[in-house]
Amino acid sequence: MTITKNLDNSALRITLEGRLDTNTAPQLEAELKNSLTGVTELDFDFSGLEYISSAGLRVLLAAQKVMNKQGKMTIGHVNETIMEVFEITGFVDILTIV
Amino acid sequence: MREKISGLSVKLIASVLLLSVLLCAAISYMGYREFTTVLEDEYNRSAYEIAETAKTYLNPDRLTYYLDTGETDPEYLEIQDKLDALVLSTNSYIIYVTRLSDNYTTSTYIFDSVHPDTGFTRYELGYTAQDMDPAYQEEVEQIMTTGERSAVYFYSYTQASGAHTTAGIPVENSAGEIVAFLGVEKAMTALENARSTYVWNVLGITVLAVALFLVVYIGFLRREVVTPILTIAGEAQRFAEDNVARLDQLEQIRKKDEIGALARVIGKMETDIVQYVENLTAVTAEKERIGAELNVATQIQADMLPRIFPPFPERNEFDIYATMTPAKEVGGDFYDFFLVDEDHLAVVMADVSGKGVPAALFMVIAKTLIKNHAQAGLAPNRVFETVNNQLCENNEAGMFVTAFLGVLELSTGRFTYVNAGHNPPLAALGGEAYDWLPSKRGFVLAGMENVRYRQQEITLRPGDRLFLYTDGVTEALDKDNALYSEARLQAFFNGADLADKTLEEQLALLRGDIAAFAAGADQADDITMLLLKINETDGRDTHG
Repeated sequence: MTITKNLDNSALRITLEGRLDTNTAPQLEAELKNSLTGVTELDFDFSGLEYISSAGLRVLLAAQKVMNKQGKMTIGHVNETIMEVFEITGFVDILTIV
Repeated sequence: MREKISGLSVKLIASVLLLSVLLCAAISYMGYREFTTVLEDEYNRSAYEIAETAKTYLNPDRLTYYLDTGETDPEYLEIQDKLDALVLSTNSYIIYVTRLSDNYTTSTYIFDSVHPDTGFTRYELGYTAQDMDPAYQEEVEQIMTTGERSAVYFYSYTQASGAHTTAGIPVENSAGEIVAFLGVEKAMTALENARSTYVWNVLGITVLAVALFLVVYIGFLRREVVTPILTIAGEAQRFAEDNVARLDQLEQIRKKDEIGALARVIGKMETDIVQYVENLTAVTAEKERIGAELNVATQIQADMLPRIFPPFPERNEFDIYATMTPAKEVGGDFYDFFLVDEDHLAVVMADVSGKGVPAALFMVIAKTLIKNHAQAGLAPNRVFETVNNQLCENNEAGMFVTAFLGVLELSTGRFTYVNAGHNPPLAALGGEAYDWLPSKRGFVLAGMENVRYRQQEITLRPGDRLFLYTDGVTEALDKDNALYSEARLQAFFNGADLADKTLEEQLALLRGDIAAFAAGADQADDITMLLLKINETDGRDTHG
């Protein structure tokens, strides 16, 4: 998986490509841990993301909880497979998918 | 320490010997050459002087007369006596005067004085012989036509007296015509002796010097090279055998050269290896301990799942069968089923996010909480709401569980269920094909506090079947990372002829189908499945 970060003032845009699973989720978790300080707007671009596992959902949930306190978080360009996962797991109700 | 000469010494000594032999040969050869040149030059010059002296004895104008008449006279005999005396006094070999043929191959002798020691007798006047050495023919021709001395030495060798040099000069008559050839042959006896003495001296001195050098050199090699290297080798061998660093031997080699460096490096290597082995042993022991504990964790987790089938042999209203195939790393899948009371059967299927010991621990908590609250008789949605809030407490790791809980009222077939973000089950109802059980969306457990869960209700009739599973089934991967998918799962249940198969056999077939799909690709996630079937019973309303 490749993670591309783009910080514009307090708005952070993260583009993910590949698979967000047990093996790659720790990578994203570490990136977020280091870069969320002072961020008020977090945007994920999922156009290149093929798959998300429960470990990936856990990282998103953690990020959502952090952003609930300091701003807002959105996820864009979610493909059908991942949207299905969000729906089954109920994540659609707590995430802002645009 | 071994005192024999080592292979290294032998090689070094051999190279020194070879060098000495080459040097000795070169010195001898050059000395030999120089010596010979100087001496030959000296002999040749002396032969020429004798020849010039002999020439003054001759009466050149009479020479032709002697030859033509073949007769001697008192003057001839007087000259011959003088030449004989000259041979003796100069210790020459032969002095001769000859007339040469036009092609310089044949000599006709006019005078011939021979030294008595040669054992030869003189050639008498007029004696003719084809005795000119073809090698010197051109030189002789040069001398006889130009009157100049030859640039080369005439050299000959006899067994009896060794090397000879010949000085040849022309004899002119009073009219200036060259009428004869005067030759003086002189033995270079001293040359041989002096030369061999010289060569032997050179050889002797060189051999002595080499021998002395070798003695010193071997001693040096032994003390400075061989012994320290043998010490290092012995130390390395000892270390290889008992693996204890001992630097006392090595520290005795206090050299500033490469051998000293080698000793220091070996010493450092010993300490480092010992250190490394200690670290490695500790790390390996730790790894083994963790590995063993992980195995125990996997075992405990597996043991927590009900694995005795049939679980309720006295209950014939339903059949149930479930399996979990763990992935390589301990995961967080679990299933559960239990009788809440005589009339209610609860079934659970859940999947904790992530893998490893954290997931396994979280699974234990989730499973225990769900069972406790369900057995207290709470409605399924109330069970999840309570469990969710309890799991959210102190959930710093941010773990969560997707779970499905259903409670079947055995007497009526009323099945009440709730889904917390889990894969919807497949259900075959009223003789229809398998289809997804309609389930209202609910958020995962432990994700967020105070989530409301909505439960649903259907009625199960005899013959109805329900299949619960985790995403290890639908997300099994083949070698190209393609998913097994819900579509394949549904197709399996509707395609395969499962009518007369037991539940266990049906799940085994499904496992086989997934394995065939994966075709050797690693199983990334736990594969957990549960199949429930409602049976026809006499004492119950069949809703027919």
